Amino acid sequence: MIINFFKLLINEFYLMLKGSVLSLTLFSLLLIASTIFALALRHTSLGLEIPLAFLWIIIFFITIIKVEKVYQSDFSEAKLQQYILSPFALEIIIFLKNVMIYFNLMFFFIIFSPIILIILNIELSYLLQINALLSLSLLSIVFISSMTASLTISKNNKFSITSVLTLPLFIPLLIFSMAITDIIDFNGNNKIYLFFVAYFLLNLAFSPLLTSFALRKLSV
Amino acid sequence: MIEIKNLSFARGNSLILRNISLLINSGDIMVIKGPNGKGKTTLLSNIVSFLEPIEGTVEYDGQKIDNEIASRKFLYIGENNFAFDNLSLKQNIDYWLSINNVTFSKEITKNSIQFLFDELNLDKKYYQLSFGQKKKLQLLLLMLVTKETWILDDPFNGLDVESIAKILTLISKKRENNGTIVIATHQDLTIPDYKTFFLR
Repeated sequence: MIINFFKLLINEFYLMLKGSVLSLTLFSLLLIASTIFALALRHTSLGLEIPLAFLWIIIFFITIIKVEKVYQSDFSEAKLQQYILSPFALEIIIFLKNVMIYFNLMFFFIIFSPIILIILNIELSYLLQINALLSLSLLSIVFISSMTASLTISKNNKFSITSVLTLPLFIPLLIFSMAITDIIDFNGNNKIYLFFVAYFLLNLAFSPLLTSFALRKLSV
Repeated sequence: MIEIKNLSFARGNSLILRNISLLINSGDIMVIKGPNGKGKTTLLSNIVSFLEPIEGTVEYDGQKIDNEIASRKFLYIGENNFAFDNLSLKQNIDYWLSINNVTFSKEITKNSIQFLFDELNLDKKYYQLSFGQKKKLQLLLLMLVTKETWILDDPFNGLDVESIAKILTLISKKRENNGTIVIATHQDLTIPDYKTFFLR
């Protein structure tokens, strides 16, 4: 079972590599959006907070789109039936897929972030902190997005509006991300990062369970 | 032994299955027949616990079938393709074997592929296969994954005569090993002594 788990992990990684074209497209759109944003506000002094808020909102949308697309293709009815009958719990498969989506998005963000920071006129000395902050909050964003995606792709969901119910879960992340950007010296306030770790652990505990419940009950 | 007792199933306001009772013993081949839209796939989905009936129960050896029992006992091949379009055939086989917790044995896999396909380039992408070949790739799991009961939804759809004969050989062998097979199909099987259940 353990050998096959690692094989599954490798296979999921490979599957995610194949789906990288979508991530590349989404991050290219982020570049374009950042350029338009920077050009539109070229005469205004933006400080650090506004470009970062912009960046966070775009990343938030990119993640939701990416997770939804992956769930649409990887949890079609026929595949889901096989996952349900697999000796591996559906929650584990969901966890693996989410982790792979996370690594995929992080990989592209790390590559694109220096260019985006230059475009948005953010000092490159913040690069490491911004990447650290995103790497922590993106974990939660992916896991919450998976709940949203499992509800939106479900064919038996009579109340599609329920997917909106997961959206408030993003609010603490956005609030705390913005709170961090208020503090110019990131290094002096390491404790605030703990919030993201705690929030991720909370999501890790509930999100795969709720996602698998929604997929099982609403998509087959 | 699978025992269906007074099973009724509804989707929304429409009642699809009404008061179905059926006994499938170990070593039985049970063919479920009926016109389109009469609930053949729905009945199979109820057996493997993908769906929950509004009334009645489905039991396996006296135990109500839940996800745990279903994942241990059933191999389900549905009517839709579950492989990944952007993966090669080898990657697809590898992926679905790992999902079924089967250790990838090159020799066995090669022999199974040879039995079903005669010749197949495993580096081909899945989307490059024909409809019938896609179906056969799914049915390859019958030879590679060991489960007591096969639940097959329209397994002969899109297959040529030769391939149907090969699948029927697999089904006969499974019965010889006291395996249970439940098939929803419109086709008459050329196997002796199978049972038929009509949904009207």
